[in-house]
Amino acid sequence: MIETTLSDLEARAVSLLGQAPDAAALESARVEFLGRKGSLASISKEMAKLTPAERAAAGKRLNAIKERLESLYEQRKAAFARAALDARLAAEWLDLTIPPPGVLPGSLHPLSQIQKELEDLFTSMGFAVVDGPEVETEWHNFDALNIPSTHPARDAQDTFWLTDGHVLRTHTSPVQVRAMEKFGAPLRIIAPGRVFRNEEVDASHEHTFYQLEGMMVDRDVSIGHMLYFMRTLLAAIFHREVTVRLRPGFFPFVEPGFELDIQCLICGGSGCAVCKQSGWVELLPCGLVHPNVLRSGGIDPDEWNGFAFGLGLTRLVMMRYGIDDIRHLQSGDLRFLSQF
Amino acid sequence: MKFSTNWLRDLVPSLAIPPRELMRLITMKTAECEGVEEFAPWLAQVCVARVLETEAIEGTHNVKALIDAGPTFGRKTVVCGAPNCRPGLLTAYVPAGVSVSGKEVKLARISGIESDGMLASGEELGINRDQEGIVELAAGEPGAPLPGLSPDSVIEVDNKSLNHRPDLWGHFGMAREIAAITGLDLRDPVDMASIPKAGGAWHVDIRDRELCPRYSALVFENVKVEPSPLWLQARLEAAGLKPISNVVDVTNFVMAELAQPLHAFDAGKLHGDTIIVRRAAEGESFDALNGETYTLAANHLVIADSSGPVALGGVIGGAHSAISESTTRIVLESANFQAAGIRKTSSQLRLRTDASMRFEKAQDPVNTVRGLARAAELLARIIPGIRIVGGLVDQWFPAPPPEPIELPLEWVVRKLGRSIEAEHVQAILESLEFGVKLRKPGVFMVTVPSWRATKDITIKDDLLEEIGRIVGYDTVPPSAPLQPVHRPWINRERIFHHEVRQMCAAQGFTESSNYSFISDEMALRFGFSPEEHLRVANPISVDQALMRRSLLPGIHHNIIDNLRNYDSFRLFEIGNEIHPRSGGALPDEIPHLMAAICSRDGGAAALYELKRLAACLMPGCEAWPAGARPYEHPARSAELRWRGASLGRIFELHPDLVENARAAIFDLDLRALFELGVPPKKYTPLRRYPTSAFDVSVVAGLRVLCADIGALIRQGAGEYCLSVEYLYSYKGKPLAHDQQSLTYRVTVGANDRTLTSDEVQAVRDRTIAALAAQGLSLR
Ligand SMILES: [Zn+2]
Repeated sequence: MIETTLSDLEARAVSLLGQAPDAAALESARVEFLGRKGSLASISKEMAKLTPAERAAAGKRLNAIKERLESLYEQRKAAFARAALDARLAAEWLDLTIPPPGVLPGSLHPLSQIQKELEDLFTSMGFAVVDGPEVETEWHNFDALNIPSTHPARDAQDTFWLTDGHVLRTHTSPVQVRAMEKFGAPLRIIAPGRVFRNEEVDASHEHTFYQLEGMMVDRDVSIGHMLYFMRTLLAAIFHREVTVRLRPGFFPFVEPGFELDIQCLICGGSGCAVCKQSGWVELLPCGLVHPNVLRSGGIDPDEWNGFAFGLGLTRLVMMRYGIDDIRHLQSGDLRFLSQF
Repeated sequence: MKFSTNWLRDLVPSLAIPPRELMRLITMKTAECEGVEEFAPWLAQVCVARVLETEAIEGTHNVKALIDAGPTFGRKTVVCGAPNCRPGLLTAYVPAGVSVSGKEVKLARISGIESDGMLASGEELGINRDQEGIVELAAGEPGAPLPGLSPDSVIEVDNKSLNHRPDLWGHFGMAREIAAITGLDLRDPVDMASIPKAGGAWHVDIRDRELCPRYSALVFENVKVEPSPLWLQARLEAAGLKPISNVVDVTNFVMAELAQPLHAFDAGKLHGDTIIVRRAAEGESFDALNGETYTLAANHLVIADSSGPVALGGVIGGAHSAISESTTRIVLESANFQAAGIRKTSSQLRLRTDASMRFEKAQDPVNTVRGLARAAELLARIIPGIRIVGGLVDQWFPAPPPEPIELPLEWVVRKLGRSIEAEHVQAILESLEFGVKLRKPGVFMVTVPSWRATKDITIKDDLLEEIGRIVGYDTVPPSAPLQPVHRPWINRERIFHHEVRQMCAAQGFTESSNYSFISDEMALRFGFSPEEHLRVANPISVDQALMRRSLLPGIHHNIIDNLRNYDSFRLFEIGNEIHPRSGGALPDEIPHLMAAICSRDGGAAALYELKRLAACLMPGCEAWPAGARPYEHPARSAELRWRGASLGRIFELHPDLVENARAAIFDLDLRALFELGVPPKKYTPLRRYPTSAFDVSVVAGLRVLCADIGALIRQGAGEYCLSVEYLYSYKGKPLAHDQQSLTYRVTVGANDRTLTSDEVQAVRDRTIAALAAQGLSLR
């Protein structure tokens, strides 16, 4: 008799729990059969009336049913929860191709970037980064660098003169003298900065451009040492070994003076339009510091000597990025500036 | 400077190096070459021809000429338009198929007659400027090459790289270099025996021995002025000089060969028989050869006769004593002038000549007589019957000979960075004609030749260059210096500028770079006084005459330009403001940051975005109202303060300065900010007890400042107040039209316990009372 009741109950409960269409129906089915006042609980109470033997068998049977139903319930409940989560997640679909809100970062001027890069490089080699004024005294810009007013080399540097007698520095070389005055020997400095030449502006000429001056003063500095630094510098700039050649070049503030050419990176030395078919590109005027310049900076040339070089930063930036018109650099045109 | 390789081969006779290789050697060892140019290559195919018969062609100026062009070409018929085409004439024949000056001569029908080749003028051949008629040869075999004329290769050397080398302004100097580089023999073209040993037929009176240390001259008679022989004209053309007449051409030839400028006076037009070398009288007038009249100053040197200046010493000759076709007697000047004086004169008068260019490099006084000897020989060769009157005229105030330079071999090795034998050093210096003596083992005493001693070589460092370049810098191995390393001085200000740049870029600003120049007009437009700016004495144009005292004109320019391509953008610049200082001191260069946000549809938000950038650089900085400047929106400008200092401004550009858009600007004094520094950071223990917070919404007039109310709240809240944070503002109903409500969050707490709700309420009450005392109520 009780066995029949239990079997019917089990069949009915399995059917209701198994076919509940949603979480709410499942829950009410659970309450109906497994709740504190549910069917199983009532049957359990009624079992008190049975004989101990009958009660043991029915109790076992009842527990088995209860376990089966609970497991079924848990299983279906988890399925409903997963389905609900899946539905929520599906509804939360986002279009991540939409650009982010707010402004994107701007960019730094290519000249600032290359200055920073070279400053870091030279700092790592023990050089100090030094500044000098853009408006210079005639003495610092010329005389102290062994270029007296009667020297023809002054013609080569079309100078902007100010009405008060000062000049806009025509090169970063006066910083050599200022650095010697400030630090004395030994000395390793670079001085990047803006320089000026009184020149008509066109695609390849600017009256305002950037140079990087470099100088090392120590005991017994040789041409070989200079070559070593120049090669290290160029390898860092171009991220590869470059072939260089050193030839005589005249600059009054160095003796001997050199032009350092690099083998053309475009044609590899076989000749092209960039190198004017020569296979070489003039890049780095340099030399051993003239004793008169050391004296101008208050350094005894019998005790100390050194090398100096000048790097055209504007030229370097143009080479690196293939910029065909120098005027873009001072144009403030965001179509140009935002490319870097 | 152009160097004819034919000419160089005359001076280094066994030179057989091809021109391009020669150019490479000169570049690597001596001076930078710009290229090789072929001079009249067609001369290899042009030959001598004799005109046999001519026949006028009716209705034209042309003649039909039958010529004998030698065994290869035989007799040819050509049509010729030259007036001097006549039977018997020996001239130049260009066969058909040969290109001359880029034009191919073709078999052609001219005036109905088949013309097989062309008879050419000097101009057509490129050997002189004569286009009056076809070439007239004095001698030559039909079919043979034109006598004395051959194709040439011209090496062009960068003048800038010759600034320090007076001797390289002539072919002989370059030939000496080539001889030293190649080890070949040098031939000196000068024969001093060309000058007779006799007393001078003229007098020289140098009155300024500083400006003119030497004046030498020769007098010639029986001169006949006519065109030079073609070989001489062609040489000058190859060297880039214009042939004029035999006498003038010889002076130019000697200049191009020996770097010694000469000048020929028509002796018949000189007054008296004394050359006076003196300073010009102030305001003295001088008519030059070039047709110009110059007003001279007392620092200019003139060559004068008894009646006045006849030349501007070392620069240009005078018009009145110039050589002409009627000249029969000449005074040939070969002098030496002080480089600095020539440079000054030539730049003051804006007159650069081939002579002044050479003298300003400091020429060798020894060279004057060599120049005369070479000229005398050439004149005798090309002007039959010419005679020297008397002998050398010469006045010379020689400078003391330069001291020999002591050169320790060990020093050379140390500076060069490679080993080199004493014999090698000696051989190199001697090949360049330095005198080399061993003073003691390992130490040379070096005597500098006169042509290198004027300025070029004075110290042992100069000799190092001579040795280094000839031995070849490519033989020096790069080597790391073995010097103690010193920690470099750190340029913190520059690092700071790079950090500011990064910060600006991170906030969306792109870096611009503007000129340091502005115009008077631009200054006035922003309300700056042009007089307060440094002024360029020689600006490229009037709109670049002043040095900027503010980055604003440049940034404004960027704004206007970029509005053509963008509706909204952000940019910034870091650059120097240049402020004049009195007393001849250099100006004060103050680095500034200027950042701008520009937008066509922009409202006030841009100003707060700039305030965010300011806060990134100066955490906690404050913007306070300040009187607007002429270029600022009068109701939208503020001064920025941080740590008690005024460091910059935030403002909107006055609408007069930008149309149909708004531009917000942030200007910051980076030097002042850098000097102020960042306050040292100090750790505060984390709070152990929870804090409480309450909001207050204050109703206030529209122009009551947010910061003022915030300060009032903080003050009123008193001791437990930890922070007062502005949340938002509201305008509109139910508030009156002239009122706003500002909401703040006040956070309170104690260090040693949790505040009770009564204590928090007490703070709130105090706050409200303080606001009420100022007439402010809560919403
Ligand atoms: Zn190339």
